[in-house]
Amino acid sequence: MDKTVFVGMSGGVDSSVSALLLKQQGYKVVGVYMKNWSKDLPGMKCPWAEDLADAKRVAVKLGIDFEVWDFEKEYFERVVEYMLSEFKAGNTPNPDIMCNQEIKFKLFYEKAMECGADFIATGHYARIIDGKLARAVDEKKDQTYFLYRVSEEALKHTIFPIGGMLKKDVKKLAEENGLHNAYKKESMGVCFVGEVGMKDFLKEYIDIKPGEIREVETEKVVGHHEGAVFYTIGQRHGLYISGNVGEVNTGLPYYVVEKDLKKNIVYVSRNINSDLVWTDKLELKDVLVRTKQFISRAASGRPVATGGRRSSSRCRAPDPLETNCLVRLRHLGELIPAKLENNVLVFENKIKRPAAGQSAVFYDGEICLGGGIII
Amino acid sequence: MIYLDHAAATPVSKKVFEAMKPYFSDDFFNPSAAYLPAKKVSSDYEAAKGVIAHAIGAKANDIVITAGATEANNLAFSILDGKVLYLATEHDSVRKVAEKHGGTPIDVDKNGRIVLDDLRAKINDDVVLISVALANNELGTIQPLSEVAAIIREVRLDRLSRGVKTPLYLHSDASQALNLLNVNVARLGVDLLTLNSAKVYGPKGVGCLYVSHDVKLKPISLGGGQENGLRSGTENVPGVIGFAKAVEEASAHMNGNRKKYAEFRKILLAELQGYELVNKKHSLDNFVVLCYNGIDAERLVFLLEEKGVYVSTGAACAANKGTKSHVLAAIGLSDSEINGSLRLTLGETNDEKQIHEAARLINEAVEVERGRNG
Repeated sequence: MDKTVFVGMSGGVDSSVSALLLKQQGYKVVGVYMKNWSKDLPGMKCPWAEDLADAKRVAVKLGIDFEVWDFEKEYFERVVEYMLSEFKAGNTPNPDIMCNQEIKFKLFYEKAMECGADFIATGHYARIIDGKLARAVDEKKDQTYFLYRVSEEALKHTIFPIGGMLKKDVKKLAEENGLHNAYKKESMGVCFVGEVGMKDFLKEYIDIKPGEIREVETEKVVGHHEGAVFYTIGQRHGLYISGNVGEVNTGLPYYVVEKDLKKNIVYVSRNINSDLVWTDKLELKDVLVRTKQFISRAASGRPVATGGRRSSSRCRAPDPLETNCLVRLRHLGELIPAKLENNVLVFENKIKRPAAGQSAVFYDGEICLGGGIII
Repeated sequence: MIYLDHAAATPVSKKVFEAMKPYFSDDFFNPSAAYLPAKKVSSDYEAAKGVIAHAIGAKANDIVITAGATEANNLAFSILDGKVLYLATEHDSVRKVAEKHGGTPIDVDKNGRIVLDDLRAKINDDVVLISVALANNELGTIQPLSEVAAIIREVRLDRLSRGVKTPLYLHSDASQALNLLNVNVARLGVDLLTLNSAKVYGPKGVGCLYVSHDVKLKPISLGGGQENGLRSGTENVPGVIGFAKAVEEASAHMNGNRKKYAEFRKILLAELQGYELVNKKHSLDNFVVLCYNGIDAERLVFLLEEKGVYVSTGAACAANKGTKSHVLAAIGLSDSEINGSLRLTLGETNDEKQIHEAARLINEAVEVERGRNG
């Protein structure tokens, strides 16, 4: 009998072509639209309805079954609330990573398996090589940064049909097969935040608390902010800095370099060479190491997640050695050589310090070894 | 293309388009301006309103032009200073406003017709407004409005005899019916009536609310005092000229069209497998609502779209929002019947050849789905 694949269909071209390829490869394909939480604006036309219709339209065209699975409640609890609590703690979390870990490769995976799936599939640009997560062929589209926390058990039953393709070829294939969404505009940013932007979104849930923006070198007040939690280390835009500060306005922009949550002060600097901006060490928490080849004494073996809901099966026993790897500090970021020592990444050359709460993801060549969350 | 979704939108007819054209360019003046060319535009506008009003047995001054039926329905509810009753199958532009005012729905029977006893039971002394669409937009069901009006007259008399001062008004959204039924405000006994240009081969974004003399509405926008002060804003002259032309056309072709649609409906019912959801005795001639139990009708919509046949499941809004149709639920259909219901609405773009072809393609799509389900 044909193997059954449940493919997550978002209405975009990537997951549509994924479904198309699986169908062509002879799988029995079931398309699933995952209804995740989105902010309910009273009386507003619902933003996901069009995506759902696009997904269904493609499923009908391919002649495959199509279902809508409602994960709104779980998505809110596991992704949105996690994100809010991280922001409140002064961090800058990555909800996409949490969505993959908790929703797409957990809830969706588990429900698909219960429904008789042999595999799940998504339209992510990523590959699985010998059971290991690997970067996509299209390096400009690679999404492994968002996938490093996906459980190995789920990966074992996952297909990434377009991971070996270039995006332009995906679009071409969609067009050749008459898929109407071949050139649909790509969704940008965090899905549930939508058009309004993260800060406006957060303001709905976190009270505004005005405070001072100070220049870190001089402690001089250079402006005011609406709450330190809304600002991110490295941020340059959206700072309300008063016109001419100090004796000479250098014209250089201010960067957020530090936050004092207790005193509600945001510290900024114009000195791009400040020691607060550059660092050669990053301390991590919740380090997850995916393959045994990655030898490390970093992973302490404690549970790696943020919600306490996860199985401990994905924590590997630490190996008492250290090794080199390549590290990516943001989606599609540069691959930087580093060494992991006791949960601390050590870089040969100084790097710009990323915001706490972001992830550092480790690679060995094209294999994604795992990662951790920056403290 | 075979377009079978005339209840969702109609193309602007050639005559309507031609009538509108000068008012975009040569006769662009603001009707409120002082010079003579503007006065001409102003009087053309008033004349056009007169044409629309005349079609429902009213005068130009009795109607308030709005940007479509939704706005007209919202305006109608601006009188509210008390309770409202509305038919359970009303369009969202009535239902949502009524719900905001804590309105109570009136039951419908399995054909979507108002249950008059339920209406009687629910009218108490606090009720100020009752809203019942002349014809439903998902089923085509025609309501016995004059019977509703008779009940309202009884209640009014009773209130007077007991010294109860609360007024009671009847509002009806006649958007779907204007080109298929004789709509006359006096005969229907309504105090407020909504019309929509976009459903009768006029331009979109234009509609109106008929307001009888004893109803006092509150303005929905303040400004220059246009539309009797109820809806300020420079007049949409080309839109209203087009609406008026469309209304004229509708009256001229009504009888011929009704006969034609009844004929087409017969053909579809003979050739299609699905069963009809409501009794056609009380339904608009251009509505064919079929149920294919066990089939997901939305899949049929997408399959047919590939063949250039455009049809609908329930109301377009309901289909898009991923929620079940409140109309089909109100007539007591099961989830599987709701999922399997397909709405075909005939119109002036159709001819007999198209109808046979559509029937063939719909049957084919149904076969594809039945085959897929095994």
